[in-house]
Amino acid sequence: MSVNAAVLMIFLPLVMAPAIYLFGRAVEKNRPEGLTTAVNSAALLVMAVLWIPYVLTVRQFAATGPIVLVYGDVALIVDGLSLLLAAAALALGTLVILYSKAHMSGKLGDEKYYSSVVAMTGMIIGLGCANDLFNLWVWFEGMAVSSYLLVVFYRDRPTALEAGVKYLVQSAVGSVTVLIGIALVFAHTGEIGFGALAAANMTTPVLLGAGALFTIGFGVKIALVPMHTWLPDAHAQAPSGISALLSGVVIEAGLIALLRVLGALSGDVMPSWGALLMAFAAVNMLLGNLMALRQTQVKRLLAYSSLSHMGYMLLGIGVAVYIGQANGAQGGLFHLLTHGMMKGLAFLAAGAFIYATSGASHDTSQDHGLTLGDLNGAARRYPFEALALSIAVLGLAGLPPLAGFMSKWQIFVAGFEAHNTVIGLLVVFAALNSVLSLAYYAPIVNAVYRRQPSTAVMEGVRLPISMRIPMAVLTLAVIAVGVWPRLVYWLIVPAGGALSAMFGS
Amino acid sequence: MLALLIWLAIGLPVLGGLIVAVIGDGREKAQHAVAVGFSAAAAVAALALLPQASGAEAVSVSFGPMFGDLTFVPDGLAVFLAAVATVVGSLAVIFSVDYMAGEAQLGRYYSFVLYFIGAMAALALTGNLFFLFLFWEITALCSYALISFYNDDPKAVAGGIKALIITQLGGVGLLALALMAYAQTGSFEISTFLAAAPGIPTAVLGLMAYGALIAAAAKSAQFPFHTWLPDAMEAPTPVSALIHAATMVNAGIYLLARLYPAFADVPGWRTAVALVGLISALIAALMAIVATDLKRLLAYSTVSQLGYMVYAVGVGGVFASQFHLLSHAVFKALLFLAAGSIIHALGTRDMREMGGVGRRMPFVRNVFIIGAIALIGLPPLNGFWSKELILEEGLLHGPAWAYAIMLVGVALTALYTLRGVSMVFFSQDGGRQAHDAGRAMKISLAILAAGTFATWLFAGSFSRMLAATLPAHGLHELTVGHLAAEVLGAPATYLALGAALVGMAVWQWRGRLPWAARSPGWLAAASESGFGLETINRLTGAATQKAGAILQRTQTGQLNWNIAGMAFGLIAVLIILAWSV
Repeated sequence: MSVNAAVLMIFLPLVMAPAIYLFGRAVEKNRPEGLTTAVNSAALLVMAVLWIPYVLTVRQFAATGPIVLVYGDVALIVDGLSLLLAAAALALGTLVILYSKAHMSGKLGDEKYYSSVVAMTGMIIGLGCANDLFNLWVWFEGMAVSSYLLVVFYRDRPTALEAGVKYLVQSAVGSVTVLIGIALVFAHTGEIGFGALAAANMTTPVLLGAGALFTIGFGVKIALVPMHTWLPDAHAQAPSGISALLSGVVIEAGLIALLRVLGALSGDVMPSWGALLMAFAAVNMLLGNLMALRQTQVKRLLAYSSLSHMGYMLLGIGVAVYIGQANGAQGGLFHLLTHGMMKGLAFLAAGAFIYATSGASHDTSQDHGLTLGDLNGAARRYPFEALALSIAVLGLAGLPPLAGFMSKWQIFVAGFEAHNTVIGLLVVFAALNSVLSLAYYAPIVNAVYRRQPSTAVMEGVRLPISMRIPMAVLTLAVIAVGVWPRLVYWLIVPAGGALSAMFGS
Repeated sequence: MLALLIWLAIGLPVLGGLIVAVIGDGREKAQHAVAVGFSAAAAVAALALLPQASGAEAVSVSFGPMFGDLTFVPDGLAVFLAAVATVVGSLAVIFSVDYMAGEAQLGRYYSFVLYFIGAMAALALTGNLFFLFLFWEITALCSYALISFYNDDPKAVAGGIKALIITQLGGVGLLALALMAYAQTGSFEISTFLAAAPGIPTAVLGLMAYGALIAAAAKSAQFPFHTWLPDAMEAPTPVSALIHAATMVNAGIYLLARLYPAFADVPGWRTAVALVGLISALIAALMAIVATDLKRLLAYSTVSQLGYMVYAVGVGGVFASQFHLLSHAVFKALLFLAAGSIIHALGTRDMREMGGVGRRMPFVRNVFIIGAIALIGLPPLNGFWSKELILEEGLLHGPAWAYAIMLVGVALTALYTLRGVSMVFFSQDGGRQAHDAGRAMKISLAILAAGTFATWLFAGSFSRMLAATLPAHGLHELTVGHLAAEVLGAPATYLALGAALVGMAVWQWRGRLPWAARSPGWLAAASESGFGLETINRLTGAATQKAGAILQRTQTGQLNWNIAGMAFGLIAVLIILAWSV
């Protein structure tokens, strides 16, 4: 019974995704006008059902520790890291599905959208549980493929297609790079299981080269600089719910994949990988912030900000890998969670404004790019959405009493616990970057609370409750975790422990 | 009982802020009532703490290992600042009932004012460096939100963002300090840090000390971070009175006073602190002499007076700095609120357009003059006693040249204050319509004016409270009798009074003095550029934008370049690995 819960958690979404698609096709054939509601309800039902095996798995993990599943050469493990990623994927997935209902017009193939979201969620859960190289790659590819369709969902828009093609090609090059790395490792060591690789503890130039290939290959998905160039376009062109998922879980899943692999390969050169991660952290933070400063389009601004937040996560994790302590890992993973909440909320709020300004047709696919000017005076007609957006961006800037402050603090504490001058300076650099980010987050808040509304706001339409509930949930979460971070300790402490165990501390 | 009072003093304003927001902007009278009620209740709770001050930890809530425990320690310094914040806060809220009557988005205004009061009380009362930083940041958020309250005014928005960024930059100093304390002692508790300070390596302690100075200078608008306070005057005037004169800007002085025992022996630190205070006092007074905007004049004056407090800490006069903090909070809030009445009535902040408004607003004129006398430092008002105490400490324990400059500052203070009073009330009538202050405004003004006569009488109980609850600081009780004897008996006092009279005389008879007939041209230019710092601000901002613009070229939009980026990345990673392994 207990093993089955974990198996269901991993494989049930993959079974339900095609089922949703087929259900949708059947509804379309018989009663096309009911398509949007029917398929959305089906998807919501599926997500609700998926929470049950997740909760059971969490309880089992709390009782007996990591759950190992082996099917022939396929090795899966459910540890703290898997449960964290699964929680993020399920939570954001459920909220985005509910949120997307209003955006669907029934003309672009709703059933493909929802089945892709469910499939992507399932792939991410599986990725978090992978315990050998090849099967990790398969889940990773599955996640990438299901996300391609979602990014280009507005396929009548040339800019969306352009963004999708760039994302597809770069992602594919990344995947091939990873595959070459896997081949190198297998040829060199004869093993692909993470446990076996870690036990072998070999540190040869070939394996270091493979590690470099993995860093670059997964780095595309993680949006490490200079592999990040697909991100701004993809986030801006995708439907807002998908942007939320991309920033909130997909890039983080790439990070988890990379960490699993490096954990298995690192052996005695762990500090070098830690230093490398910290170097990427510094570059990501700076470039993300400087580029975001120049943006006038809200969704592109948020996309660049995801780059800098990935930098914070890498800083925390890099410190943990470098010195071999758990606090940095816990901090970095805490930031993974809070960033998912806050960035998800920010994108959902931006999407709400895009919907509001889309006119009576509610055709969000014709969005010409929501700018700061369009947000002027939004609070007069949309006070809740304006509040949600403000809380999201102020949280991202790291202002208390919101979640981002707490997670950034944990990362900074871990950095100073290293008693290393360079790392200390890096923490100060990160804090200064946080201050810099205020320069582009604060104007958003100022814009929405103006008294004089923009034309877009004045002509805006009402927002349905299906969009507001996910935003309300995330807003409350951001405030609650900011005031009382212990609420999520049950999730992040085992995850941090699992991560530092992987790197042999 | 102590714990309950602490939670009330902090929690009531926060609760009030939430209720005001929920009530909504349609019900203005209810919003005013809730705001006044909750802020007044918090003031009562904070005042009730005063007699019960104790150095022992009263509240402790565990937040886990990386945050430490949320502790509240109601010692003398803490309850004093909490009382100032809540009392002046409630007076500013009462004033707002008239000042902000009929304003749009009133809920947002009151919420942030109330959250600020709660956060400030918490900042003062907490005994944990992490939570000190947390509340420090919350006050910065509220300050930003209130400065840019009129979001449609680009100057207000720019002022708010400028204040936010400059104070946050300074905040990195406090962040580093807290983290280093944790790294050295394993705890965030201030008491643990103060006890362990002698054992911390000098290099690390030095970094912490200067980090604290940077954070304090930024928060208290001291040189070189003074440029945000004048621009923050775009805020509604009750906000200027509360946050930017009486409370938030005192947080820096509070931090220096609180951590003084740990840093006093760090080489060069006390000199640096005294120097920062001295320079700020001087340049701000100079900038005030040429100011034409009434609120900016008061802002420069605040920077200058805060400089006196910082200087006091630098020469070892911790009690003197807190005593002047009390006086200044009262008379500066009085001056700001009175200025607010005038601005509200006349519709302008330009002193050249005010003229003979004194005849039409006698009540406001009288209380403003009372505040001015306190600011100049004439007996028997509170400003006289506290400023003299600082100058004496400076003469006894600091370098003589520093004392001389501070004395010049006294003369300049008298000069700009008299200039301000005469421009606003006694010069050519601007002809604008004006009505005297409304009832709510008068209540706040009257209480504060009474305070300028009375607060110095609490010197004895105040010093006794500090001495008893802050053993690490080595403070002594100073009864009112002793204070009077010391001040009235010291020659320094008469030097200072003489300087003040000289300053007033120079203004009064500037026609007869060729060099004082018109303010020197260089002074106006220097004031415009904030003595060079505005230029630095502008250049920093421009450089950052330029860096972003250069980086934008890497986002070519062309797939080939994007893939090439991956190749560069791979090469870079291989090089780093080859070099580091």
